[in-house]
Amino acid sequence: MKRPIRTHNLGGALAFILHRPHPTVQALARQLTAIGLEVQECWSELPAHALAADFVFFDADMGYDGQFPWASGAAPMPLVALIGSEAPGRVEWSLKAGAHAHLLKPVGDNGAYSALLIARAAFDAERALSAEIADLKRRMDERQTVVRAVTLLAARGKSEAEAYAQLRQMAMAWRVSFEDAAARIVARFAEGRDQDGQRGRG
Amino acid sequence: MKRRIELGLLYSRSGPYALMSEACRTGALSAMAMVNADPDLDISFVPVERDPGGNVDHYGPLCADILRDTGARHVVGCVTSWSRKEVIPTVEKFGGTLWYAVPYEGFEASDHVVYTHACPNQHLLPLLDWALRSHGRRATLVASNYIWGWELNRLARETVTAAGGEILAERYLPMGSVDVDRMVEEIRFTRPDFILNSLIGPSSYAFLAAYQALGRDDPHFRPDRCPVLSCNMTECEFPALGARAEGLIAAGPYFRGVTGWPGAGNFGSSFEAAAFAAVRQLARLLAHRPGAEAESLTDLLKSPAGQDGVIDPETHHTTLPVVIAEVRGGVFHVIQHLGEVAGDPYLTRSRAPAAATPTLRVVS
Repeated sequence: MKRPIRTHNLGGALAFILHRPHPTVQALARQLTAIGLEVQECWSELPAHALAADFVFFDADMGYDGQFPWASGAAPMPLVALIGSEAPGRVEWSLKAGAHAHLLKPVGDNGAYSALLIARAAFDAERALSAEIADLKRRMDERQTVVRAVTLLAARGKSEAEAYAQLRQMAMAWRVSFEDAAARIVARFAEGRDQDGQRGRG
Repeated sequence: MKRRIELGLLYSRSGPYALMSEACRTGALSAMAMVNADPDLDISFVPVERDPGGNVDHYGPLCADILRDTGARHVVGCVTSWSRKEVIPTVEKFGGTLWYAVPYEGFEASDHVVYTHACPNQHLLPLLDWALRSHGRRATLVASNYIWGWELNRLARETVTAAGGEILAERYLPMGSVDVDRMVEEIRFTRPDFILNSLIGPSSYAFLAAYQALGRDDPHFRPDRCPVLSCNMTECEFPALGARAEGLIAAGPYFRGVTGWPGAGNFGSSFEAAAFAAVRQLARLLAHRPGAEAESLTDLLKSPAGQDGVIDPETHHTTLPVVIAEVRGGVFHVIQHLGEVAGDPYLTRSRAPAAATPTLRVVS
């Protein structure tokens, strides 16, 4: 971890415990309340307003797909699996559901605090990585556009290197990404061709 | 006819922190004597003592001895956080309760522990707040190498950095070590605005002696310019410290002579006061309810006496005065009395003091 752990912002956070009524739920709720969180218990499905929760603890033993109001693995908050049976199938299901941390049952007097911190750190890291990957993917997809834009600019009598530099300057002037600038150039040339009445595209 | 209730005492009467243990033990025993002599209470306490001798590996087994082999369900004891963490699994296993009467680093709220001394929002944060306002933002952190020092320094770093300050050095000594020369040399070289000292026992005494000598050579290191702060130093260590305590600034719920908590101000130190308060609280929970001595802490806190007591039923921490004091002439003099503050072990209920935010200056 590059950043130090932030311990100050758990106060007033909302945690859902998705588990049938059980002493484990009581013990976990006690720990979370002592830490300063608000706790709501539910079973067998998460209500829609659980989307506003800061953390969700879910039962790994009796859990099933369709309990969560989001696509599998796409939770909008950190998830903590409550694991009783360590059967590989249940662990696998917990991972597929997107667990960021886990607590072993029976839950006793401790464990919740570290689970909260680890789940949040894993969730933050996952989010940052997904955003970075999405951006890189988009830019990969735009490679062809960049090549076309450079070719179009070079067709006006510039060398390839000059055309590339010009595109970079345009992107800076427009304050958009290199790829977005390339898309604009390509669109402009296409419009120009349409106005000339040359219909080459389907 | 009083009900006789056995009560465990688990304090090390030898080893590097024996003075602190003795202070706690004195407080617990005097509260027991007071309960036993009180004709209005239907209970009397019988102490069941075990002495781990300062060896951390003896705490768990001796606590098990008390809870398994005697009638005691409650144990007043432990000084270091390390020993407390050793004891918690045992009290959990036997359904007992540990009453912990010394300052600690927070981030714990065991269902089987009552915390009757201060946690960081009651000692470290107000103390740093005071130092940042009155001395500056460049700090050096020294501590004994275990969880008390690690966590205090982590919080201090977070707080000082958030206030726009900087930590010049963070240094640790093994418990019991008096090898302070390098620490002091670094301080001489980096010239901080204040020093947070979370060393324990002989390490702390050696450090304070060396630092005082440094102050005689260079006025920057005198208490009015660059003070040493502590969240664990109390009067109970004055016999070992002597004049070396001079100028030390400490935060705690009580200093000798301060009235209000937990009584008339006639305790030797806050350790003694907090252990006294622990036993008095326990007596409140057990009195006039035959059979209560067998109840769990959770159930005791649900009783009428538990509900209007000073123990927070959610965190098992207590509301305590926050006092900052300076040693002058061998006596703590109060600099600031910040009133009563509820223990907030996870720092989720109260925010850091306002002064921890940097003061803005006009830059021309």
